[in-house]
Amino acid sequence: MAEVDVAHAEIEVEGLNKTFGRRDVLRDVSFGVERGGFLSIMGPNGAGKTTTLRVLATLLTPTSGGVRIAGLDPLDDPMPVRRVIGLISHSPLLYLDLTAYENLRFYADMYGVPERERRIGELLERVELSHRRYDQVRTFSKGMLQRLAIARALLHRPRVLLLDEPYSGLDPHAVDILDGLLAEIRAEHTFVMVSHSIPKTLQLSTQVVIMDAGRIVYRQAGRVDEGDFVAVYREHVNEGVAL
Amino acid sequence: MAAGAVGVGVVELPPARTSAGRQLYTIVKKDVISELRTKEMLLSMFLFAVLAMVVFHFAFTVRADTDLTYFTGGMLWVTFIFGALLGLNRSFVHEKDEGCLDGLLLCPVDRVTIFLAKMTGNLIFLLVIQALAVPIFTLFFVKTSYAADLPAFLAVLLLADVGVCAVGTLLATIAMNTKARDLLLPIVFLPLIIPVLIAATSATTGIFAQTASLGSLGAKLGFLAAYDVIFVLAAYGTYDFAIGE
Amino acid sequence: MESSQSVAAPAATADQASALQRLVSAPALLVYAAVLLAAGAILGFWYAPTDASTMGFSQKIFYFHVPVAETALLAYGVAFVAGILYLRSRDAKYDRLGVAAIRLGLLFSLLVMATGMVWGKAAWGAWWAWEPRLTTFLIACLLYAAYFVLRSSVDEEERRATYSALFAIIAFIDVPVTFVATRLMPAGLHPVVFTGQGAQMDHRDLIAFMVAMVGMTLFFVGLLRTELAAARLREELDHLKNRLGS
Repeated sequence: MAEVDVAHAEIEVEGLNKTFGRRDVLRDVSFGVERGGFLSIMGPNGAGKTTTLRVLATLLTPTSGGVRIAGLDPLDDPMPVRRVIGLISHSPLLYLDLTAYENLRFYADMYGVPERERRIGELLERVELSHRRYDQVRTFSKGMLQRLAIARALLHRPRVLLLDEPYSGLDPHAVDILDGLLAEIRAEHTFVMVSHSIPKTLQLSTQVVIMDAGRIVYRQAGRVDEGDFVAVYREHVNEGVAL
Repeated sequence: MAAGAVGVGVVELPPARTSAGRQLYTIVKKDVISELRTKEMLLSMFLFAVLAMVVFHFAFTVRADTDLTYFTGGMLWVTFIFGALLGLNRSFVHEKDEGCLDGLLLCPVDRVTIFLAKMTGNLIFLLVIQALAVPIFTLFFVKTSYAADLPAFLAVLLLADVGVCAVGTLLATIAMNTKARDLLLPIVFLPLIIPVLIAATSATTGIFAQTASLGSLGAKLGFLAAYDVIFVLAAYGTYDFAIGE
Repeated sequence: MESSQSVAAPAATADQASALQRLVSAPALLVYAAVLLAAGAILGFWYAPTDASTMGFSQKIFYFHVPVAETALLAYGVAFVAGILYLRSRDAKYDRLGVAAIRLGLLFSLLVMATGMVWGKAAWGAWWAWEPRLTTFLIACLLYAAYFVLRSSVDEEERRATYSALFAIIAFIDVPVTFVATRLMPAGLHPVVFTGQGAQMDHRDLIAFMVAMVGMTLFFVGLLRTELAAARLREELDHLKNRLGS
C-alpha cells in the first residue's frame, strides 16, 4: 500500500486555465477544499463548472495551472489520483447490456477492489437494488440507474467524490437514497459538486463558488441564508454577462 | 478501510489487487459478454462475409468454365478486410453510445492496456467470423485440398488479423471522436492496411492454388510479422494521444 | 499571447531583417531553386549524353521525376517530425508545419505519378504499370488525402492537431512498408538507376541529376516557408477578426 503526505487542503487548484482552440473555457481558476469539506460550484451553463470538475477527475488536462488532490499531482501521474477519486455524473456510466452485478464486478476488477463479492453485495444493499442484481441495466429506470451509479462510484472507497449535477432527473425515492448515502459518508470524505439547485447546495455545502465565463466571480465559505444567496447569485451572474 | 491517520502527515491509498493483465482480461470479458448478449456485430460480419462471396462469384464468373483459383486469395482477404471494418467501427460502440467512456477512463488503467484489450476483443471477433467463413469459402471456391498446408494458412490468417486489428483499433479510437465516424474509418484504414492485403493475398493464393514455395511463403509470413511488430509498437507509443482529451 | 506580439511587430521585423535573413528568405530560396532547376534542365538536355538504351531522349524526364519523388518523401518526413514535435509540445506551429508539408508532399506525389506515367508511356508503351514505385506513390496519395479527410472531420483545433499528428506519424511509417510489400508482388518494369554498386550513370548524368536534386529541394523549402508564412498571416487575421467581433 502506498503512503502519501497529506497537504493542508485535500484539494488545491491554482491558476487553472483551459483553452479549446480560441475559446478560453477556464480563466485563472483557484480554490481549495479542506479535508471533509463540501464545495459546490454554481453558475450558468457554459461557465466552466463541468470543465473544472473534469480536470479534477483527470479526464481533462488544463492548458496551464496546478492541481493537487490528496497530496497527489494528477498532471504528473494521474494513476494514483484515479484510485482516490470517484465521479457521479448525470450520465450513469453503466453498460446497458450487462446486469447490475456485472457492471459492478467490471469496475471492481478494474479498480482491484479487495473482497469484491462482499463489497458489491454491501453496496447493492445500500442503494436498495439487491433484488435487481441479475437484471440487465437496460431495464432500469433513471432513478435506479443513478442509484447503481452511486454504488459504482463508491466501490473503491474513494476519499474524494466529484458530483456533476447528481440530483438532476431523480425521483424522490432516489433523492432520499442519495441524501442518505451522502450523509453517511460525509465524515472523512471530501466533496466537489456542480449543481443548479440552490436548496441542495445550501443544504450540503461548507463552501460555495459561483463561476461565470470561465472565472470564479463569487466565493462564500460557511453557512448562507437562502434568500441572501439567491440575491447574490442573481447579482453576480448578471455581472458576468457583459453588455 | 479508506481513511488513515489524518493531519499528522501520512495517509494510505485504498488497497488494490489488480494488474494490467487482469484489467485487460476484464475489459475483453466485458466486451465479449456484451456482444454475446446482442450478437449484432457477429451476425452482421458473418452475413457480410457470405454475401461478399456470393457477389464475387457472380462478379468474376464470366464464362461457364471460369477458374477462379488465382483469385481466391484476393477474394478472401477483401471479404475479411471489409468485414473487419464493420467490427472495428464498433470497437467503442458501447462506451460511446451509452456515454460510459468516462467510466473507463476514470479507472486507474493504462491507456495502452485499453488499447490491447480492445485490439484483443476485435481479434477474437474476427477469428470467430473467419472460423465460420473459411470453410464456406473453401466449399465455394477452392478446388484442391490444402489440408497439408493448413498450419501455414492459419499462420497467414493470424498474422494478418493482428495487423488489421492493431491498426484498425488505433484508427477506430480516433474515428469515434470525429464527425464522420463510420465514414472516416475506411478512408484512413484502407491505405494503411494495403501492405497486409498484398502479403496475405499472395500468400493465400499460393496456398489455395498450390503454387507457393516454402521460401516465398516464409518471406511473406516474415513480412506480416514485421508489419505487426512495427504497428503494434506505433500504436503503443501514440495511444495515449488517441484516446485522451 | 504570442500572436499579439507579432501583430504589433511586423514593421519592426522588416526593419531589422539582417542581410543573412534576406539571403535565406522564402523568395530568395525560390529564386535559387529556379536558377538551379533551369541549370539542371540545361545540363540534362545538352550536357549529359543521350541514353544509349531503348529509352533514348525520354530518359531525360528522370531529372525531374526522381527529384520530385525524393522531395515528396522529404515532405512526408518533415510532417512526421512535425507530428512528433506537436505531440510533445502541443505548439500549434508544428500543426501548421505538418499541414503545409503534407499538402506539398501530396502535390509532389501527384507530379511523380504524372511524370512517371509520361516516362512509362515513352519507355514501355503503356500509360500505367503496377510496379513498386508508382504503386507506392499512388497509395501515398490516397493515404495523405485521407489525412485531409480526417482533418475536415474534426472541429476542435487541439484534437484536430493531435489526430493529424498521429496520422502523419503512422502514415510515414507505412510508406516504406508499402514499398517493401509492392516488391513482394511480381517484378515490375521500373529501371533501377541507383543500385548497390553505386550510380549506374555517366558522371555527366550524375552532375545534372545532383543540380536538379538540390534545386528541387530548395524549391520545396521555399514553397514550404511561403505556405507557412501565409498560414500564419491567416491565423492572425482570424484572431483579429475574433477580437473585433467580440
